[in-house]
Amino acid sequence: MLTRRRFLQASSLFALAPTVPLFVARTAQAAAADKDRRILVVVELNGGNDALNTVIPYADPTYEKLRPKLKIAKKELLSLSASVGLHPSLKPLDKLWQAGHLAVLPGVGYPNPNRSHFESMAIWQTARLDPEEQNGYGWLGRALDPQAGSAYLLGSAVPTALRGRRSTTVSLNRVEEVLLADPASAKQAIGGESADDLLAFVRRQSVDANAAADKLAHLAGGNDGSRYPATALAERLKLAARLIRSNLGARVFYTVQSGYDTHAVQAFAHGNLLEELAGAIAAFFNDLTQAKLADRVILLTFSEFGRTIKENGSAGTDHGTAGAVFLAGPGVRGGVATTMPSLTELAAGEPKMTADFRGVYTAVLEDWLGLPAKEVLAGTFDHPPLFRA
Amino acid sequence: MIDAVWSPYTADERAPWNLRRVVHLHRRAGFAGTWSEMQRDLKEGPVASVDRLLAGQASLVSPPDFASIADLLADSAVAAGEINRLKAWWFYRMMFGTDALGEKLTLLWHDHFATANSKVANPALMRRQNDTLRKFARGKFGHLLRAGIREPALLLYLDAQANRRSHPNENLAREAMELFTLGVGHYSEADVKEAARALTGWSVEEGQFANVAARRDIGNKCILGQRGELDGTALVIILLEQPATSERLALKLCRLFFGESIVPPAAMHALAAGLREHDLDIAWATELVLKSQLFFSNANLGSRVIGPVEFVVGAVRALEMFDPSPSTLALADWSARIGQDLFNPPNVGGWPFGRAWVHTRSMITRANFITALISGPDVGRASPYDAAFLPHKYGFGTNSDALLTFHHRLLFGTDPSADIRRRTSGMDERRTIGTLLSSPQAQLG
Repeated sequence: MLTRRRFLQASSLFALAPTVPLFVARTAQAAAADKDRRILVVVELNGGNDALNTVIPYADPTYEKLRPKLKIAKKELLSLSASVGLHPSLKPLDKLWQAGHLAVLPGVGYPNPNRSHFESMAIWQTARLDPEEQNGYGWLGRALDPQAGSAYLLGSAVPTALRGRRSTTVSLNRVEEVLLADPASAKQAIGGESADDLLAFVRRQSVDANAAADKLAHLAGGNDGSRYPATALAERLKLAARLIRSNLGARVFYTVQSGYDTHAVQAFAHGNLLEELAGAIAAFFNDLTQAKLADRVILLTFSEFGRTIKENGSAGTDHGTAGAVFLAGPGVRGGVATTMPSLTELAAGEPKMTADFRGVYTAVLEDWLGLPAKEVLAGTFDHPPLFRA
Repeated sequence: MIDAVWSPYTADERAPWNLRRVVHLHRRAGFAGTWSEMQRDLKEGPVASVDRLLAGQASLVSPPDFASIADLLADSAVAAGEINRLKAWWFYRMMFGTDALGEKLTLLWHDHFATANSKVANPALMRRQNDTLRKFARGKFGHLLRAGIREPALLLYLDAQANRRSHPNENLAREAMELFTLGVGHYSEADVKEAARALTGWSVEEGQFANVAARRDIGNKCILGQRGELDGTALVIILLEQPATSERLALKLCRLFFGESIVPPAAMHALAAGLREHDLDIAWATELVLKSQLFFSNANLGSRVIGPVEFVVGAVRALEMFDPSPSTLALADWSARIGQDLFNPPNVGGWPFGRAWVHTRSMITRANFITALISGPDVGRASPYDAAFLPHKYGFGTNSDALLTFHHRLLFGTDPSADIRRRTSGMDERRTIGTLLSSPQAQLG
């Protein structure tokens, strides 16, 4: 009998695969060409990541004054330069940093910062500051609209960022969802060549599907030598790596790491989250490097805001303003790519942004993915040279 | 003109009325016929068979209390606020209902007026919309459009309530022109802006359509060359009058009933012209198409990719899995994983069609669905499929050759080739059936 538990374990919502735009025919050949293009992986840090303890201006004496309990001692942190360091839990990112494959961007925000989770996340996801302009479509959904492209969501709830008028999202939670339950039967089902064009097309897709499922099964068997920490985020990035390695053709992957809303007793929770984040990212790029695919993939992290620079009375922090963004991958120009905001020249008690997130999006869309950004972002924005080529 | 390109089908040597064509008719105008339904139609001929489907009376397996059970399922899904149960309700309708053609047309309109519960988050309103689409599914398109564009679920999905004189929101206006009626290229951006002005005030209040006077832009407008203090009602009339709307309607009906490249452009235009002459009457067009030589032509057989919902329901119906039936909740979930999540089209453009249904992820999941359907537990059925039951019921033998032949005729209307016999020889019976259902051929109908 199908138990509820078993059913729930096996179920997920599987939205879709590439759609055909209403006015452009998309042949199988065109779909194949997509596979060789560059890939963006987005990790949303949900809750408001405490930027000040993530990307730390350790040489600024104000830092310690603001954070008597929560401060990270200089000898603990990962030094990036004479003035900036990273939270020690980000140590697994050191290899990427040393290779020049990690860009650290403090102070990324937007004018008139909003400290509501919901509203600020809507701004980051839609790239629209005015709620009246936020019509439910997101920057990635819109960017993929012209080719009716698709994004993979490693999770269940499709974020606004991925919603478009014609683009689609495939939601996946477990690799079993793209493995064949009965590979032998599936193979036998295929049969001989056909003269009929449509039937031949379906047959080719079946052959491809079997091959991809085979490959995924092999990768799922753990025979690929890749090693990931035993964390939920690492599992999802491992699935992303497998999908990338199986050449399924999506250009955008998205996943969410939750828990960053650390209003009280922050230190332990924040450290754990950053450790999970860094461990997953490092393992992901190790995996892709072994598969010789790393140069095609970049990973972006963002959060809806940073947190109050002054710690609160509960050894935590509250909702703040501009936050830290990371970009990782061999295609990235490593370094601290934006200016650390001043801790003394503030606006309403919080740091002023030094970079607009829409500039970062512009760089990602145009310089990395080769997709036009102006309509997607409803404007042109200065963008730092974040990528190598 | 219309009689020339849409001449009626008459059986002859080149296009005999045979099981192949009966299977074809049921796959296109329904989900799949059971063996007895198809044997009946084989005997009674094409006109009677099509008439039966048009009248919504083709099913031999619909329980007498179907309507009340269906209502109960929908009512309780809505009361519980569970969209998955509403999906299960619709699967119940498709499997057990009397009017498969009506359900296919409803599915077409659900795709056409795409609205997703992931944004609307209101199963009651999604059900309301579904009922409206079903009610007007075969009527004149004008009635369907007038009702469909005022459905609260659609209005919420397309941000109608955010569209106001002081700050127009073009979402509803744009999709009304691009998707519901004219199609790309038949209007300008200025028309969209003016149409948005005409639609100001349209909103949803307490789950009902409302026209809020304070938000309305009542000034003069010019839409597609028509001038006046045009409101939403006037906009709909203007859109219905455009020839482009009839062309788009013809296109959508041809996509439902024909494979790719089967309908020559001249025939499509003739159908559009005929629709204009018949007040955009969907039933008229459906009957013309289903009784046409073009519909039953050799080229049109096996020419269309079966979408996920059709694939899932078709398999269940053909194999007569009525008692015990698979869990309709499970079927809805499988369909979603294959690529068609009812009440949740991927975007306002609806679902893909044709070859775009066929890709690695969907093929893997279709195969897994068949494996699950045949074995039982993963579709919520306690026992596996008994491959000997139907052949025995219908007087075939029960040796493996008879099983293969029966199922091949049931699913495809033809006898298995030597190649299939060879590939399945020595296979256990259930796997043989699974092989047939996951074959490339079984993805076309």
